[in-house]
Amino acid sequence: MMNPDAVEENQEEGNILVWLTGLAFLAAMVAIFIYVPTEQTEGVVQRVMYFHVPSAWLSFFAFFIVFICSILFLWKKEREWDIYAHASAEIGVIFCSLVLITGPIWARPIWGAWWVWDARLTSTLILWIIYVAYLMLRTQSDAGSMRARYAAVLGIVGFLNIPFIHFSVLWWRTFHPPPKVITNEGIGKGMDPTMLATLGISLCAFTLLYFLLMGVRVRQEKLKDEIDRLKREKLYSA
Amino acid sequence: MDNQWFFLAANVVVWGGIIYYVYTIRQRNRALEKDLELLKETLSKEG
Repeated sequence: MMNPDAVEENQEEGNILVWLTGLAFLAAMVAIFIYVPTEQTEGVVQRVMYFHVPSAWLSFFAFFIVFICSILFLWKKEREWDIYAHASAEIGVIFCSLVLITGPIWARPIWGAWWVWDARLTSTLILWIIYVAYLMLRTQSDAGSMRARYAAVLGIVGFLNIPFIHFSVLWWRTFHPPPKVITNEGIGKGMDPTMLATLGISLCAFTLLYFLLMGVRVRQEKLKDEIDRLKREKLYSA
Repeated sequence: MDNQWFFLAANVVVWGGIIYYVYTIRQRNRALEKDLELLKETLSKEG
């Protein structure tokens, strides 16, 4: 049963997070549109990076949470972990979709092609397909805890693709550029400081958005569980 | 380089995507609230 005091406290925390996220996005927009200089070779379109990279970071982070929560669910068999994994997978898929759309928009004027089947792009598409399958499994199957168990296994297996995505640009010759933030010379050495600062602000804004969306989705799933429980109780008492 | 339209398109996609997702969450919230109200009503009628 949900505690009313805890619900009120959560709401207050949620309001603070809404304001923080809003402010972070405002700062990110000012930095992207006004503060950061235009890159000389790529021009204005290079600013897509400040959406593309944070979206990728957010989706990878979301899938990492799915990975951790799925392990915890299989281990402890507590519904709570399944709720977190489900909510995080949904957010991850949304932002992975944004990565797969903004990438080609950025690539078209620079590479002269919307899409190339190189290792980074293809493995990211595979990651997206795996987690779309994860969400489909959750909506299609009706097997209760078995459904959650199958989904948890898929959530764990899907995450194993992420290190492959990260290293793909180093292992193979790809169209996609290698990492600019974390390089052999150190963190942020491969970028202009103003660009790095703008990317940092954008990353913060997207991370805050993740926690905000997670909070809402987890509360929703818990409420749904509560409603289902009450419905079942009513059905059995009738 | 005259490629600001691509940047604009990326902006539309990102903001459109985020706003649409928030909208679907709100819709789901409304459906749940409606469900809860209906359940409360039924339970109170049954005493």
